Amino acid sequence: MTLNGKEIAFVDGETIYEVAQRADVEVPTLCYDPRLEAFGACRLCLVEVEGSRNPVASCTTPASAGMVAHTRTEAIEKHRRTLLELVASENPKKNIDPLRGYASQELNRLFEQHDVRPGRFQGKHSGTSSQDDNPFILRDYDHCISCYRCVRVCAEQEGDHAITMMNRGFEKQITAEFDNRLKESACTFCGQCVQTCPTGALGDRKAMRAEAQKEDFKKTRSVCPYCGVGCQVDLLSKSDRLVGVQPAMDGPANEGALCIKGQFAFDFVQHEDRLGKPLVRGEDGNLHEVDWDTALDRAAAGFKKVREQHGNHAIYGVASGRAPSEASYTMQKFIRAGFGTNQIDNCSRA
Amino acid sequence: MNDRATDRVLIDQWREEPAPLLPLLHAFHERDGWLTEDALRAVSCGLKIPLAELFGTVTFYHHFSQEPPGRELPRVCDGPVCRFQGAANLIEKLNAKPMPCAGRCDGPVPVLQADEVLTGLSVDQLKAEPSLLPSPNPGAIEECVFAHIREPGRVALEGYRKTGGYDCLKGVLAETPEHLVSLITESRLAGRGGAGFSTGKKWAMVAEAPGQPKTIVCNADEGEPGCFKDRVLLHYDPHAILEGMLLAAYATGAKRGFIYLRYEYPETQAVLEHAITEAMDAGFLGKSICGKTGFDFDIFVRRGAGAYICGEEGSLLNSLEGKHPFPRNRPPFPVTNGFEDLPTVVNNVETFAAVAPIVNHGADWYKSLGLGDHAGTKVVSLSGDIQRPGNYEVPIGLPLKTLLHEWAGGPLSGHRIQAVSMAGLSGGFLGGGDLGEVTLDEPSIRSKGSFLGAAGIIVFDERRNMVDVAGHAMAFFAEESCGKCFPCRIGTQRLTERLNGSAGPGDESAWCEEVNDIEETMMATSACGLGVAAPNLTKSLQKYFPEQIAAHLKNESISGT
Repeated sequence: MTLNGKEIAFVDGETIYEVAQRADVEVPTLCYDPRLEAFGACRLCLVEVEGSRNPVASCTTPASAGMVAHTRTEAIEKHRRTLLELVASENPKKNIDPLRGYASQELNRLFEQHDVRPGRFQGKHSGTSSQDDNPFILRDYDHCISCYRCVRVCAEQEGDHAITMMNRGFEKQITAEFDNRLKESACTFCGQCVQTCPTGALGDRKAMRAEAQKEDFKKTRSVCPYCGVGCQVDLLSKSDRLVGVQPAMDGPANEGALCIKGQFAFDFVQHEDRLGKPLVRGEDGNLHEVDWDTALDRAAAGFKKVREQHGNHAIYGVASGRAPSEASYTMQKFIRAGFGTNQIDNCSRA
Repeated sequence: MNDRATDRVLIDQWREEPAPLLPLLHAFHERDGWLTEDALRAVSCGLKIPLAELFGTVTFYHHFSQEPPGRELPRVCDGPVCRFQGAANLIEKLNAKPMPCAGRCDGPVPVLQADEVLTGLSVDQLKAEPSLLPSPNPGAIEECVFAHIREPGRVALEGYRKTGGYDCLKGVLAETPEHLVSLITESRLAGRGGAGFSTGKKWAMVAEAPGQPKTIVCNADEGEPGCFKDRVLLHYDPHAILEGMLLAAYATGAKRGFIYLRYEYPETQAVLEHAITEAMDAGFLGKSICGKTGFDFDIFVRRGAGAYICGEEGSLLNSLEGKHPFPRNRPPFPVTNGFEDLPTVVNNVETFAAVAPIVNHGADWYKSLGLGDHAGTKVVSLSGDIQRPGNYEVPIGLPLKTLLHEWAGGPLSGHRIQAVSMAGLSGGFLGGGDLGEVTLDEPSIRSKGSFLGAAGIIVFDERRNMVDVAGHAMAFFAEESCGKCFPCRIGTQRLTERLNGSAGPGDESAWCEEVNDIEETMMATSACGLGVAAPNLTKSLQKYFPEQIAAHLKNESISGT
């Protein structure tokens, strides 16, 4: 097909948008998430196709042999601007802190790129904030633009189908069943809805605790410590304090997905109660800091005593789902060959 | 209180049926009076639909209640004609809730309570009136779909057979399906639901498309305000639609058919189910129809739950499949990827009603019914400020003024026609000199920036404030917008505000600039016909009644948000 005057080969089934992406031609989108089925709601990805009366949504239109398409014409740019000005009119103005989520700056960036004039198309605002007091996900629907990326990621990628679209038209709201709070729904708080929201209407409540600190956050690529999948994450930090986690969209194992643990359960890393040194109980009944050798000797002595008094099978080992295979192997060898019992279990079996 | 055993019985009754969600929800809705949380949990479990998704789908429809008084709460039509006939008064007196146009514009205001429809202009006048039949053709033209509709007993199989109903099957089955498709193509029959796509071409595409089982869908959702033709065809000549669907099944190799009937025609559902039973008993439906092995076809009636957008074919198919009723992205089209992603014919009631007459009398006959170069007839639903509202089967190409003044008696005494709507509300208005110029065919009406479509025509005389009429109509589109695509979801809301004065610039040129930008973008970028058509209201308002807009902007105070 021909795109902006250039001939490009395509594979049957590819959409015009996918061809454009491959050819490094930038086409604006709002309702598009490459991990999800193209939806065709925002209409920003319009292109003109020669022979077609109206422009077509490139995300849902398959490329065809001989097709001639243009991604930026005067008419299309005008439509994009009008669409964005309509979107700008449906919610109050607000600066959204990037801590809210991975995609939370998308809308404001598009406003700047397309020179959106504030104050056009004034009228009623859509959406209302939800009184949902869960500690992880802020549901600030004052800023919702009904792109449904949240609903779609929850259904298509996560398979949880925890949220849906209630009512019709301008009155459409994002809700769980019976307008319940997320706690009473099928939501597993994986946070994927938050990370795909392009306006910050859905916010990462934990990361947002650091909004008061005015500096920009730093991103450090890492791997989630919790299980064997090895989801890649970006650790967000301000002044060397871990303030939040965002998924790595290009992580080979997760491609942007995370679960509640990897997304939200990071407080332990710099928690004041976290053990930094081994502790052993003294004669006085209190715990005292000791060196590693002392601690290991004490633990070994304790297990030895239990074996002598009650036999091998009084010992039961529970390995961790967070450990890599090598550590799991070592643990089971320790229990079987070391202690002479086959009572080895793993917390991820539960 | 929910009886668990009955939950199980209802679910088991529908679980294995095709397109089970709508009838199952209706069964619970009828049993309990509204859809309880427990009922939805049971349906979610029984049909394996995620509960949140099911909840979202249920809230999409007008007529599914989720709390008392539920179905028993009366609903009163406040559509474009009924609002001038005392709808507001009825709503107040009955403590009713309004409902969008219920397809009874040729008579008094309809009130729907549970499954009963009463009509009247005031509370003490409410009574059950049968659906109005069309009067004898004022032009004395030869009709196609209305030819026998007025005959008593027509609704029964016996009455239908008296004029040769189902007789053509023998001859059709002796020829190939391709032969039938050619005949329909040759007749130039085009979709009568508004889109006007060549029926023969559509059937050919389905016949050629790979995939089984194929499906025939009759779009009986008739939600366009001002349109009430399908109501009368289904209620008084149901076998004509069944025969048309049956012929479509032979032409395309389809095995099953659905009639998607709008919620607001409850009395018609029983009529259709009865006709289907009669046809089955006579061997015209079911297995080995007319003795031809391999020619099997079953028809199921599926009742909607109140949503105008479900008349759009993609939304209809999603609704049938139990999904959220968003329109579908196209391509692909239903002819290749329709019901359950298989080749599907979606045609309007009137289109199916024309098929058997064409097979019986020939393609040339049908073509000759139109005037000049036009082929065939179109049923026009005429209502509003006119002497004789009703359904009229017109030859395509008939001058509008002939219909309005000669056939329908002209304006009410002492008044003059100011404007008419076209295609229900979707074609906007025609006014001024164009009223006397246009003929009832697509080329003529499109040349004026409107379109014939489903051919609902509402008449407005000089008493009507056209800005107010347009505002009420735009509010309908805003209410019915599915909410998927941005231009329509936000655009219909903004245009409504600018018409009713609740928001928007007070200065006329600023107002027009905003309105024109919204119109342009909605018409070029909306994802389905609703968003493309709605701006016709403001476009035609600006074209024919700019002075009324100016007056509206000067008198009304525009409040910003």
